Amino acid sequence: MFDLAHLALVVAILSPLLAAIIAGSSMLIGSRMPGERTVVRMLWAGLLSALLASVFIATAYATSWPVPLHGEIDFGSWIAIGDYEIPAVFLVDQYAVAFSLLGAVLTALVARFSETYLHKDPGFFRFYVLLGLFAAGTQLLAFAGSLDLFFAGWEAIGIASTLFIGFFHERAEPVRSAIRAFTTYRICDVAFLIAIVATHELVGSTRLSDLGRAESLPTLEVSLIAFLLLIAAFGKSAQLPFSGWLVRAMEGPTPSSALFYGGISIHAGLYLLLRTAPVLGMAPGAAIFGATVGLLTAFYASAVVRTQADAKGALAQATLAQIGLILAEICLGWTTLALVHLITHALLRVWQYLRAPNMLHDAHHHAHHEHRTHAAPATDTALSRLRGRLYVEQLHRFRLDDRLDALVTPVLALAHWLQRIDERWFDRDERRRTETEA
Amino acid sequence: MTPEPVTLRLFLSVLVVLLVIAPDLIARGRPSAATLLNATLPALALLMPHGALAYGLLALATGAHAYQARPAGLQAAAMMLVAAVALALGAAALLLAGPSALAFYMSILALILRAGLLGLHGGMSALWRKLPALQVQQYTTLLVLVFSHLRFSDHATALAAADAIVILGASSALIFGLTSLVQRNLDGLLRASMLMHGGLMIAATGAAGKGHAVAALFVSLSMTLAVVGLCLMVLALEARVGKVTLLRPGGRARAFPRLAAAFGFFGAAGVGMPGTAGFIADDLILHALWSESVYATIAVALASALLAIATLRAITLCFMGPQTGSVAPDLLPAERLFAFGLVLLLLVSGLTPQLVVGAAVGLFGNN
Repeated sequence: MFDLAHLALVVAILSPLLAAIIAGSSMLIGSRMPGERTVVRMLWAGLLSALLASVFIATAYATSWPVPLHGEIDFGSWIAIGDYEIPAVFLVDQYAVAFSLLGAVLTALVARFSETYLHKDPGFFRFYVLLGLFAAGTQLLAFAGSLDLFFAGWEAIGIASTLFIGFFHERAEPVRSAIRAFTTYRICDVAFLIAIVATHELVGSTRLSDLGRAESLPTLEVSLIAFLLLIAAFGKSAQLPFSGWLVRAMEGPTPSSALFYGGISIHAGLYLLLRTAPVLGMAPGAAIFGATVGLLTAFYASAVVRTQADAKGALAQATLAQIGLILAEICLGWTTLALVHLITHALLRVWQYLRAPNMLHDAHHHAHHEHRTHAAPATDTALSRLRGRLYVEQLHRFRLDDRLDALVTPVLALAHWLQRIDERWFDRDERRRTETEA
Repeated sequence: MTPEPVTLRLFLSVLVVLLVIAPDLIARGRPSAATLLNATLPALALLMPHGALAYGLLALATGAHAYQARPAGLQAAAMMLVAAVALALGAAALLLAGPSALAFYMSILALILRAGLLGLHGGMSALWRKLPALQVQQYTTLLVLVFSHLRFSDHATALAAADAIVILGASSALIFGLTSLVQRNLDGLLRASMLMHGGLMIAATGAAGKGHAVAALFVSLSMTLAVVGLCLMVLALEARVGKVTLLRPGGRARAFPRLAAAFGFFGAAGVGMPGTAGFIADDLILHALWSESVYATIAVALASALLAIATLRAITLCFMGPQTGSVAPDLLPAERLFAFGLVLLLLVSGLTPQLVVGAAVGLFGNN
């Protein structure tokens, strides 16, 4: 039966998406681009509806008023072919309500902030359409009751994130950073996709409420699924060895940096692990691995942050350190602590990112109140040399990107080799064109 | 509410006609007689009650393609198409006596040739390089071949050959996914994309042998919509600025904002963007392949990821960077109409896939 609960979920997820689609279509069909005010109105309608729906769901979940709303809310099947099904099922619990409210509130705040911040920017229209896509992705992620639906939200957030990083596309660096972030996302998403398929085939369902059934599987199979989910989370939440893209992601506009890398997107990997915590609980090897990576990332980021000269770069490293700690908490089974840590961290970081452009003003203010101290003259000892070397490594973020690039180089070399064979045997036009160009 | 199977067949027929005539309609305002023939024959094949008739019409349509490829000096393409005609005719003749193993192999070979399996893709490459509009038509009618194959092929042979076809298709997709990363021009990227998706279609059709016919049809439909949309956008861009290289940023987003948006959408739909049919297709094909081979599942997932990276790189190099002006207009009304129609179809079949799937279940049963 389609009741208030169903309606609230539909509104929360679809209203920002519809707003983005209508705005995007008006550009494709219309004879001229819509103005700033029209776009803002369209998107505000979507975002505000999502926020109200989210508040309604939270109220109904907490007080059972006006309708009791918790557990699985079934919409039937998104796809059903024989015994294969992608259920259109949503899960309303403490995690979903908290993440949905967090996402809706932060997105609305950032939308309001950006109205002034991006006024007259050539990408104004694009920004708001992407914000709509992101908001829909966040709500879908929050309430998804199956891994398939979760992945849909996950991908929407990833695409929006990539396009925001490359927002100022007239410069080369943001575009390069966007491609790097997207590459990390997609490679890690392969692990997520395979985890979904494996869960469906081995557990018999991708419903989050059925993940407990994995208990009957051999340890190897549960561990495999858990490892794949961890890799997906590492990519999205920029854990080692995939941390390099986060600093580069700061190339995007400040409001989107705040929303994505302070607020929601960077925590999406952790949210995935909170949702699939039963699987992690059954795979102690994977849990220990996850906790170790989380703690290592926290150490790494704490070391690197001391040498960052720019405000957003330093904030990115500080974010990474906290994300690493939350990851360790989840892997150790402290999920309630992790949820509280996640929400408070997201709120603090969004505020800090949005204030980042004021950093110069703040620094001026502090300079008046600080007593300068003079450093002692350096002495050339083994310890000071070690410190120096460590400092250089920290400055270069331990050359993490170079090391990852070294892994990609042979893959590209293979692609070039295959391409040469292809041109020699099957694509002679291209070969002739290459020779002419040479 | 699930549409009847006959509604699905009618819908596919209309879709094929529209997609085949699209390049002509956009370029000249009306389709040529040859294009109308190319559109009508496969559309009729979809409605035929008997395999022999369907394959006969497909052979005629492919023959028309081969005839049009002849003057352009496309020996490889013409040979490939003539071979496909012979195979389709052979399948039609054999199907007169009912489904058989030989008819199955002839049909799948025709599909392999026309989708461009690795090693047999020379003809398709040349066609795209020299007569892109014809290749768009040829690629669109692949959907009809897949449909006819799923409908009329011999199930026992399909079951026996499934593993080999899946491995071949998935390997081909992976290799073209890999080569898409190092393309130096937009032509090359589209060629790699078409061949990668061709590999996926072959793998999906192979998996249909083990009871995933509905998935195979959905995969083929969504790939056709996304790839044809992307091809139309590439043709529109090249009509305005000539051949596009991917060596340095082109900065065309401000001159062609709609074209850039549509290009991005079709590119993303082809690699599984959520909300579009591509997302469902990716999900379906991975589940279908898992039961055949874990290797094929990983290969296809990787291929899709690699192509996604290559597509994003191409979008950034075509449209981003320091902006340049152009006297050429953005998408014209006819181009916009086709682009919008395809976007709508990809969204509707992505958000409510059961419309297609339900009708396909009615056709192929619960598999």
